[in-house]
Amino acid sequence: MNGLKNVAAVIGVGESDYVADHARVRAGEKPHDSNGYAAIAFKRALDDAGIGRDDVDGLIVGPTVAYERIGEVLGINPTWGGQQDAMLAVIEACMAIKSGLATCVAIVYGNDQRSAAVQYGGPEAMGGNLFLSYVYHAPWGFTSQGSLYAMMFRRFSELTGCTERHLGEVAVAQRLAASLNPGALMRKPITLDDYMASPYICEPLHLFDYCLINDGGVALIICEAEKAKRIAAKKPVAIHGVGRFDLNRGATSLEPRLLDFYRPAQEACAKQVYDMAGLGPEDMDAVQIYDSFSCHIPFALEGYGYCRSGDVGRFMSEEGIALGRKLPVNTGGGHLSHSYMQGWNHQVEAVRQVRGECGPRQVEGCRFVHYNSDVAGKAVSIIYGV
Amino acid sequence: MAQSQAVAIHYDKPMWASIRAKRMELQSCDDCGEFHYPPGPTCPHCLSMTLSWKPLSGRGKIVSWVVYHRQYFDDYPPPFNVVAVQLAEGPIIITNLVGPEPEGSWIDREVEIVYEPDARGEPLNRVRLVG
Repeated sequence: MNGLKNVAAVIGVGESDYVADHARVRAGEKPHDSNGYAAIAFKRALDDAGIGRDDVDGLIVGPTVAYERIGEVLGINPTWGGQQDAMLAVIEACMAIKSGLATCVAIVYGNDQRSAAVQYGGPEAMGGNLFLSYVYHAPWGFTSQGSLYAMMFRRFSELTGCTERHLGEVAVAQRLAASLNPGALMRKPITLDDYMASPYICEPLHLFDYCLINDGGVALIICEAEKAKRIAAKKPVAIHGVGRFDLNRGATSLEPRLLDFYRPAQEACAKQVYDMAGLGPEDMDAVQIYDSFSCHIPFALEGYGYCRSGDVGRFMSEEGIALGRKLPVNTGGGHLSHSYMQGWNHQVEAVRQVRGECGPRQVEGCRFVHYNSDVAGKAVSIIYGV
Repeated sequence: MAQSQAVAIHYDKPMWASIRAKRMELQSCDDCGEFHYPPGPTCPHCLSMTLSWKPLSGRGKIVSWVVYHRQYFDDYPPPFNVVAVQLAEGPIIITNLVGPEPEGSWIDREVEIVYEPDARGEPLNRVRLVG
C-alpha cells in the first residue's frame, strides 16, 4: 500500500513565541487565548510558505479550539474542514488532498492551557474526559496521564532491565537539544545525576520525566505535491508515508498498556509507514516522539525497530539518543524541554531538520525524520523527508 | 483540592452497590462466559448483550505498582501506593495495596480483595498480600 506516499508536502510552518509568552503568563498576564495563539502561528506559517490566506482551501484545527470559530477568525471558507490531533491532522490533510477535496490545507492549533490553569490530574480531571476513564481510577487516588505512564514504565523496567538511570538519558538528551534551541523553554543543561536527584512525582517517574505546561500555537501548511513546488517559497518537505493502528480493546482495564506496552499497535503502524515510504528505521536521520512523559521514547524505540526488543536501556545509554550520537531523538527538546504543544511542535521540528534550518542543533545531512506517537493506545507515524 | 469520589456511570451502578456491600461483582457474559471491566452494554469479547452480574473470587496478581509523592486529593496524602491487579477472572483493576508491602519487585505477587472505608466512610475495594 502506497496510498499517501508523496501525495503532499509541508510548505510552511509557524509557532507562537513560547519563551516570551511563558514569561508573561508566569508574571500573571494572559497574552492570548487559544484562538489568538492559533492565529499567530497560522500567519507565520503563511509567511514561511510565501503564500496568502486565499491560497488555503482546507482547514483542520486541533482539539483545543473550535473549528468554526477558527475558520471565522482566520477568514477561511474551505472546501474541506475538520478537527484532529496533531498527527491525525497531518494524515487527514493528506487524505483530503489525495481525494481532491482540497489542495492546500492549513492545520492549526492553539492552547492556553497554562494561563487557563488546565488540570491534567486531580479532582478537575476525574470525570472530565470520559475516554481517559479516570472514573475507574480516581477512587483509589490514581489520576493523571503521568501515573498511567509511571505504572507502564514500572512493569517495563522490571521485565526488561531498563532502569530509572537509563530512562534519565531521555531528559538529559532533550535538555541538551533545548539548550541549543532559542525557542525552547527549559535551556539549562542537566546531568544524569541531576535527574536521579530530582524528586519523584509518581514513582518511578521523576519531575524531569514530565512534560511542560505552557501556552502556545502551531500551524503547518500542507499542499498537494506538484502545486507545492509551484507556489512555495522554500523547498517543500515531502510526506513519504503515514501509519496508524489503535488498540481500543481492554483500554480502560489497561491490558494493552500494561501487558503489551502498546507494542502490537506500534509494530502494525511501523509496517504501514515503512512500507508506504519504502524506508526503514536505518534510513532515519532523526526521530521525533510524542513525549508527554519520557518513557514514550524507550517504548517507541523498541516498537518501531530502532533497537532490539528488551535492549532499549543499553541502546539509550551506550549508543545514545542525544544530538551527535547514534540516533538523535526530539532534537528541539520535545515536550519535556521545548514546549508542550501536544505533538504539533514535533511536526515543525521534523520539517525544519529536513530543511536544514536548525542552526546549532541541526542534524548534519538530515534527509529523513520519523515522527511517531502513542497517545493512550493510538499509534500514529509520519515520515518526513527530502 | 477535593476528596476522591466514586463516579458511577450508568452501567457501573450495580458494581458500586456490590462494592458498598463488600462483595464486589462484575459483568460476566452468558454466551461466552468471559468477564469484562469496566461495566458496559455489551460483552466486548463476543458482542452479546446477555450479561449477568457475578461475584468475584477476590483473588488476583499484581501487574505493576506506583508510589505517589505528590498530593492530588485530600484523602490521599503522599506517599501512597496504587497497584494494577489482574483478577483471577481476567480484567485488570486499579486499587491500593494495604498491609505489608513486598520486598523487591511487587509483580506477580498474589493478592486478595479487602474492603476499607473511603473518604466518606463507605467500603472501597482494596487488596492485601495473600499468605
